[in-house]
Amino acid sequence: METSKITAAEAISIVLGIFVAYTLVALPRSMLDATKTATLINLIYVGIIALLITFLIYKLLIKFPGSDIVDIAEYLGGKTLKTFIGMVFIFYFLFSSSVLLRNFCECLKIVYYPMTSLIFIILTFIIVICITLHHRFSSIAKVNLLIIPLVIISIIFLFIANMRNFSLDNIFPIFGDGLFNTFVTGLGNLGAFGGITLLYFLPPYLKEPQKMKKIYLTSIILGTIYFLLCVSIILFMFISLMYTNQIMPLYSAARYIEFGNFFQRLESIFLLIWILQMVCYLAIVAKISLSIFKKITNIRNEKPLIFVFGLLIFAISLLPKNYAVSKFIEDYIYHYMVIIVSIVLGVSLLVLAYFKKRKKKELKADVQKTI
Amino acid sequence: MFKKLFKKIFVIILIIMLLLAFSKSYSTLNIDNLSVVVAMGIDVSDKNRLQISFQFTNPSSVSESGTSEQAPSIIYSVDASSISSGINLINTYIGKSVNLSHCKVITFSEEIASRGISDEIYTLINDTQIRPSTNIVISKTSARYYLEHSKPLFENLITKYYEVFSASGSYTGFTANATIGDFFDSLICHSCEPYGILGGVTNNSTEYTGSTNSENDSTTKSNASSLSGQSTAENTGLAVFKNDVLVGELNSIETLCFSIIRNQVDGFLISVPNPNKANSYIDLHVTPLVTPKVKVDILNGTPYITIDCRFTGRIYSMEDGADYLDNDMLNQISNCCNSYLESILTEYLYKTSKSLSSDINGFGKTARNIFLTLDEFYDYNWSEKYKDSFFKVTVNSSIRSSSLLTES
Repeated sequence: METSKITAAEAISIVLGIFVAYTLVALPRSMLDATKTATLINLIYVGIIALLITFLIYKLLIKFPGSDIVDIAEYLGGKTLKTFIGMVFIFYFLFSSSVLLRNFCECLKIVYYPMTSLIFIILTFIIVICITLHHRFSSIAKVNLLIIPLVIISIIFLFIANMRNFSLDNIFPIFGDGLFNTFVTGLGNLGAFGGITLLYFLPPYLKEPQKMKKIYLTSIILGTIYFLLCVSIILFMFISLMYTNQIMPLYSAARYIEFGNFFQRLESIFLLIWILQMVCYLAIVAKISLSIFKKITNIRNEKPLIFVFGLLIFAISLLPKNYAVSKFIEDYIYHYMVIIVSIVLGVSLLVLAYFKKRKKKELKADVQKTI
Repeated sequence: MFKKLFKKIFVIILIIMLLLAFSKSYSTLNIDNLSVVVAMGIDVSDKNRLQISFQFTNPSSVSESGTSEQAPSIIYSVDASSISSGINLINTYIGKSVNLSHCKVITFSEEIASRGISDEIYTLINDTQIRPSTNIVISKTSARYYLEHSKPLFENLITKYYEVFSASGSYTGFTANATIGDFFDSLICHSCEPYGILGGVTNNSTEYTGSTNSENDSTTKSNASSLSGQSTAENTGLAVFKNDVLVGELNSIETLCFSIIRNQVDGFLISVPNPNKANSYIDLHVTPLVTPKVKVDILNGTPYITIDCRFTGRIYSMEDGADYLDNDMLNQISNCCNSYLESILTEYLYKTSKSLSSDINGFGKTARNIFLTLDEFYDYNWSEKYKDSFFKVTVNSSIRSSSLLTES
């Protein structure tokens, strides 16, 4: 049983951390690419669907108090299913975080370290993650809780400071590429809600499980508002981003901030805060992966595996041949992975486990009746 | 014991390794290895290649003790097939790495702008060092000549001059802030067109005789102004583009109209006909009250654009026998101001549509809200239809009083 418990605020900040990490690289741009000028409408629509899915996940998870999806998989299909589900989620977490790390480092290289080999930039993050993973989950969550408000403030500041560059007409034509694109193919933007995956693993960590509903729904609502804020900045500022692809659109927006001739070039401060957030995200994801691995292998101490997982993230992040490949994975494959693993696989597993439990309950009731 | 020692050695090796890895980027971006470019000029060379001029400043020559001497600026030019290879050549020549992160102005000659500058703009935007706030100037002379004459008259630092030179637009309206970020956005946008600051050099080969190159105060523009004094660069008017090709120029009053519609001017001075005296003018200082309301409709397939502006103002000039405490008099002046502004705004708008076919005002962005989907908007082909536009300008100004003297 995990002894490292987290508060409601820490849990919300962890889920938000996943949303935030992806927006720092390319997420707002890939959403805009999918639904163009209708992205704000689409986000509200997709946000409502994500909220309904989250509510469903909550309703199913409370039937198995204190259990995460790996425990539920064991209940449903025994050790085989437990191992399979565990491996799927480990692969999902490691693969998605490695690709995100690769893309973030590619951007850092372009902007600040043109002469430094990419390997060393990635390695710096890996070393930090390995050191961080030696701490308890609650410690990482506490640090994340400190960083997340800074990131949110930075984004709100980005929004306010760039308001003079906004053109509200940029949201027109209101339906972008059409109704079908906005409400049917635009459902692909559900892939932005990768934080949902973490909801399956939070129950054993919660200090106050009775606040689970509040934690789950608040994190998705805040995540949607955060997405709306990020996309608004990009949409209102750059009409060009719908037709061109720029690295780190939020960073590009930060370059426009100027207060007179004195306060200029504030983007470095933004990037510093975002780097801290990226480290928190990677540490959380790696810690969750480690705990899943611990659970499926029944090992007592996961610490010797920290460097193995660090090296795995490092190796996977170097797999894409170039930025084009890693960008493709982040923009398209990641979105489908979120939908397939987090939503389809996760929810169907919970539903099946729920039916099994109900059937068992009914059988028990029948037996008792017969007796 | 051995485990601890091994850990320490491992950490030391790691630190050395990372120091070595990151030191290369640090040394490349080290100030000792950089030559700071404050302005860039792009011309067409004889062999149909690009002639790229770089204006450098020597930061070490700037004294902190408040000397009155100007910091020298150095200009180097190089012929190259592209901007990037030009930078590469100049790096070799000066033995330092050119850094564009403090480049405040990029000047294109009229000749190259007339051929199209999209490749250059894309290349510059792709450069991490170029700031989106860098001004774009289209020079009536060669870009190098413009840079040579861009000298700060009242400051010691050329960088400070470049920082503030477009600021006068906010209180005159005769020039506008035209940045590379906006230029790039307009270049890609399907509903607006790019523009740049019109630059030139005051021609002072002979003594000033009192004759001007322009008809009146408000029709001046760069290279056609009445300015006399030292031969310096001037930035009056705007260069208008259709896609990436220079198609025309705006003089000072047209630039003022542009600034009014784009809400880029805080206040401006205009001369309106005196309602009580023939061939006489009254100078008014006018301040926009609200952002102009722009409405776009499509009537019989043609854009119909209505613009509603509201101003307040004061009388700046004074004459013998004037009575500016008379309400009727102020109303008459307000009406004159309305008709004058309506006429110059309408004239300007028809020039952008009929003569230049370039929507630099960005009316297309407003027109987008008529359409429900992007496909409908693209099918309409706004950039082509703009030349058929009709305009209705309504100006509502209220002249409140004169300044210190109210009656004479």
